[in-house]
Amino acid sequence: MKKFSFLIILLLSINSVIAAVGAPCGDYGECDTFKPQLTNIESLQLGALTFINHCYGCHSLKYSRWGRISKDLDIPEKILTENLVFGSDVKLGDRMTGSMQPAVSEGWFGIAPPDLTLVTRLHGSDWVYTYLRTFYEDSSKPYGVNNMVYPGAAMPNVLALLQGQQILSCKDIPIIASNGGVRRDEFGNDITEEKCGYLKTIEGSGKLTQQEFDDYIFDLVNFMTYVGEPSRSVRERMGWYVILFFVVFTAFSYLLYREYQKDYH
Amino acid sequence: MTQQSSGIFNWINTRLPISNTYERHLSKHPVPKKVNFWYLFGALASVVLVIQIVSGIWLMFGYENTEEGAFASVEYIMRDIEYGWIIRYMHTTGASMFFAVVYLHMFRGLLYGSYHKPRELVWIFGMTIYLVMMAEGFLGYVLPYGQMSYWGAQVIISLFGAIPYIGESLELWVRGDYYISGATISRFFALHVVALPLILIALVFMHLVALHEVGAGNPEGVDIEKYLDEDGVPLDSVPFFPYKVLNALVAIGVFGIVFSFIMFFFPEGGGYMLELANFEEANPLSTPEHIAPVWYYSPYYAMLRAVPDKLGGLLVMAAAIAILFVVPWLDRSKAASIRYKGILSKIAMTMFIVSWLMLAWLGTVPVTALRTTLSIIGTVIYFAFFLLMPIYTSIEKTKPVPERL
Repeated sequence: MKKFSFLIILLLSINSVIAAVGAPCGDYGECDTFKPQLTNIESLQLGALTFINHCYGCHSLKYSRWGRISKDLDIPEKILTENLVFGSDVKLGDRMTGSMQPAVSEGWFGIAPPDLTLVTRLHGSDWVYTYLRTFYEDSSKPYGVNNMVYPGAAMPNVLALLQGQQILSCKDIPIIASNGGVRRDEFGNDITEEKCGYLKTIEGSGKLTQQEFDDYIFDLVNFMTYVGEPSRSVRERMGWYVILFFVVFTAFSYLLYREYQKDYH
Repeated sequence: MTQQSSGIFNWINTRLPISNTYERHLSKHPVPKKVNFWYLFGALASVVLVIQIVSGIWLMFGYENTEEGAFASVEYIMRDIEYGWIIRYMHTTGASMFFAVVYLHMFRGLLYGSYHKPRELVWIFGMTIYLVMMAEGFLGYVLPYGQMSYWGAQVIISLFGAIPYIGESLELWVRGDYYISGATISRFFALHVVALPLILIALVFMHLVALHEVGAGNPEGVDIEKYLDEDGVPLDSVPFFPYKVLNALVAIGVFGIVFSFIMFFFPEGGGYMLELANFEEANPLSTPEHIAPVWYYSPYYAMLRAVPDKLGGLLVMAAAIAILFVVPWLDRSKAASIRYKGILSKIAMTMFIVSWLMLAWLGTVPVTALRTTLSIIGTVIYFAFFLLMPIYTSIEKTKPVPERL
């Protein structure tokens, strides 16, 4: 019984540690979940292409090397150098240091665009996935956009042409009574109130539909998750073999232990 | 061939006490025949020590101890060195697991009174090991030079500044500069990889020598030396080798499963083992929103924060560790093991566990008024457990301890 209550206390304290973490995605609340697919090479390749085309102009991946990307993502060196690497003096063993001088860009944006190699590890892939999809029009900002996850972000919405116009809108939300149910009037209709601060994309204003855009960002964040820890898929595969080894090891040492224990029991 | 090799063995053995040492510490060293799983964490701690030393040496191959290069060199190990990520995660997981097994090992000591006469020195050597480990862990955490390395070091080093008169110069002396810089990294590196490991190994050696002199305890608190056979060997004992080695082998197997599971699938430990803010290079100009230590320091960090005064907080934190050293003299109970102690000891032990776990949680979360109150309550209970120990262990009625194991 005592062991049992000790366990309950332990579980409760672990639970409260988790509960203590607040809304991680700013005004957006909980981040949208992102489950990386690190063995989906096609998605990673598309993500790499998107990164180089839309992000790499300003953001470096300075801890990563071109050759590693080529090897891990099955992109033949020739295709990589012809289509993704800009500049003829760049070698495959070079780090992806970007093309923008931090001193210059600081003058343009007020802050130098950060290196993004580890951004998915720093904020989490969920955060990045949500952040990239929650820009909305806000004429009070220098670039005409603001972000729900990171209000006041200094980054322009570089993917606006694909996503289209996204604005903050209001909608009618049913009022929840204190007992947890929806409040109704005497005719049984839900009582609603107008709440604002919801993201709405104006249909047809972008090149992609909302679903296509989400998929597009998925591939991008999938690639960024890969770049954050390129060995992760190897790690997760190898882990099972190591655990299997220890299971067999434990089984045999237990049998040996039991055999020897007979000497003194 | 056999004759020849035994000739060589004899030649060495007459000059170096190989068979004597083997018999004294392994094949004939008597250990209690009945112990439970709590008695396996010491062996596991020595396994983790070896993991830390070996993986640490390999990490040094690629690590650069400079302000400009430290952070990038860790990423270099993670990406460019073949299987460098295994070495790094082994070391970071090892650090957490070292504390986990040592905390369980220490808790076993409290639970079964392993510090009771004649094992006071074993306990004191062990506590010194824990103290050195805390310093070692802190120094190591600064080396990757991420945001949390920097700001964690800032908080801890500034504690020295709270000491009256010598504080400020001491702070400067520890840091080696007016702010945390390359000078701090290179001295922390030297201490982390040479000085403290040497001390740690020496202390572990002393811990074991002292243990083998007085013999291991058992969960019943029975003195097995009372009943000996005609050769002077305790009746309730078995030789360490092979019996207890096999016992440890099973434990190592299970531990290996747990260790690999964390290392391969949750190396960040949800941000409690590798803090996510440390994936950003140290930036002296931007303070993180919430500075929290890794989980194994958090109970003491909560105590530090519970006291509004910096020097007071430092003293409380230091006292919380220091008081553990004198436990052998605080416990006046006739019974060593909790099994035969009275109800007061059992209540005190339960409250101690709850308060320690609560403080561990409080040390990792941002401060609120309620949490500060809880931290104060937790700190008071923590100290009450030790300070009132001479009283409750001497007035309570203990059950008779059996003669045999």
